[in-house]
Amino acid sequence: MRYLMILFFISTLWGADTTLEVTKNVGMLPRLAIEDGSSVANDTGSRFHKMLSADMNVVSLFNVDDRYAGQSFDNPQAAGIHKDAVYILRYRLVADGSGGYRTDVKLFQNSLELFSKIYYLKQSEMLVFLAHSIAYDINAKMGGGSLEWMKRKVLFVRLSGPRRSDIVAADYTLSYQKVVLSGGMYGFAKWANREQTDFYYTSLSDYHPTIYKVNLATANKAAIVSSDGMAVCSDVSEDGNRLLLTLAPSGQPDIYLYDVRTKNKTRLTDYTGIDVSGQFMGEDRIAFVSNRMGSPNIFSKKIGESAINQVVFEGKNNSTCSAYRNMLVYKAREGSTAGGSAFNLHLISLHNSTIRRLTSSGDNDYPRFSHDGEAVLHIKHEGSHSMVGIIRLGVNKSFSFPLHIGRMQSIDW
Amino acid sequence: MKRVAYLSAVLAVLVFSGCSTKEPAIDATANGSVSGNGSNTNGQTSATDGSAVIAPVTNASSVDNGAANGSGNAVNAQIVNVYFDYDKFDIREDMMASVKGNAALLKNKTFKLEGNCDEFGSDEYNFALGLKRANAVKTALVDNGANADSISMVSLGEGNPACTEKTQECWAKNRRVEVKLP
Repeated sequence: MRYLMILFFISTLWGADTTLEVTKNVGMLPRLAIEDGSSVANDTGSRFHKMLSADMNVVSLFNVDDRYAGQSFDNPQAAGIHKDAVYILRYRLVADGSGGYRTDVKLFQNSLELFSKIYYLKQSEMLVFLAHSIAYDINAKMGGGSLEWMKRKVLFVRLSGPRRSDIVAADYTLSYQKVVLSGGMYGFAKWANREQTDFYYTSLSDYHPTIYKVNLATANKAAIVSSDGMAVCSDVSEDGNRLLLTLAPSGQPDIYLYDVRTKNKTRLTDYTGIDVSGQFMGEDRIAFVSNRMGSPNIFSKKIGESAINQVVFEGKNNSTCSAYRNMLVYKAREGSTAGGSAFNLHLISLHNSTIRRLTSSGDNDYPRFSHDGEAVLHIKHEGSHSMVGIIRLGVNKSFSFPLHIGRMQSIDW
Repeated sequence: MKRVAYLSAVLAVLVFSGCSTKEPAIDATANGSVSGNGSNTNGQTSATDGSAVIAPVTNASSVDNGAANGSGNAVNAQIVNVYFDYDKFDIREDMMASVKGNAALLKNKTFKLEGNCDEFGSDEYNFALGLKRANAVKTALVDNGANADSISMVSLGEGNPACTEKTQECWAKNRRVEVKLP
């Protein structure tokens, strides 16, 4: 009960000002063990145990005991090595004979059943999404903060060599990866709608930058707009009907508003330097990156008006941003490391201009708020490799998952 | 290592199987065997209600058959790259002779300028930086007799590195504009 009160207190504060820092001691969290209740222990069961353990760690409501153990599915008692666990999360995988699994799940609290659900997984290669769904449901059952992002697909561009890249759809841990476009040079892949049925990307394959829209179910693609020099879809409005593009028809990169239904585009910025990375801030305002003060920094403007406001007054080389209501995450260059410069992410509240540093080291790039503003997805580069980073703002925790092949160019969820 | 092997196996299956079903991948339903549907996190009885469906990521894997092979066209050996300082797009004094030499070679020719960057900075800003570099070279070439209408530009950001080592010298080689003749 005490823990729930703390959670409630945190969520109340979070609603008031998300820049508040909250640090929790994992030792105070109730112990949870995950047990395999399948009739036959096998590699799939133990692999699923690891996936579910990782997800339950990200849930951040428990002190997760990741030691594998089997136990009869309906037995309310924990296996011997898990006797000190308050919660037991037990699963039973049953192959359906056609490449999928029926999965029974139960959560026990002090031997009393708290949750029960059956899942039908039809494609065994998507096993990790089953783990995400279970973790999501357990979190919801326990009243944890929103984890809507956990079930979403991550879309990224992977540079595989000079002038070569792939577009990959994955889960947030990168355990599941599917190449959805390959064979050319691409950049800036971005989901076209909340349902994640379509995505935009820039093709440089014929050296004439063109933004395409692709339907994942059919692989049909349609050219949206081309521009000499560069063409990027920087952001998609909540309803999917408006895009913020960076185009350079005369060699001058500026931000344009594109109406998906009418195909009309309106130039929003007109500066002789660099204006890029437009991000919607509600219905009528955008944030963007400009070097109009000599080096890249974050500015905002109201659509339809000419006045431009500087948003960030700290840091240097603030060259990318993501906006969610009154919050903005930006990247700032901070000193050097052995491998180059250090770039950290910062969260700024536009209500009171307070700034919270979200990363402490390395080369962190391409922040993207989740749709509910509860988490920030980003790329973390380390040498020639990249990692997916997730920062859960409400619980002040971050997680990273390595990409073993190639380097990430862009990411979205 | 085991995880890598697993991922490789999954990837291979995904790429080559072309899974054909359009049915939801996960269909979750509540177990009715436990009564109640409240959200009592301290209680001992409540089940979870509702259902969840996750669609497959895609059934279509697309290969861009029309993509250029990236090899580019042969460039006159006398044409040289123009190099830039970190986060800059103005042409350095020591590069002006190269630009003028290129202008003489490119007179009356149609060609493309490719702007390139090192790996620092956000990629969209980097793409813009690459384009501004290409545009600066275009302006200088036109000032030295090239025909503006014969020049097109593209920025490749950090996607076409000339060097992949983690050294200052290598990053300097990547901050460049290349001329590509048809």
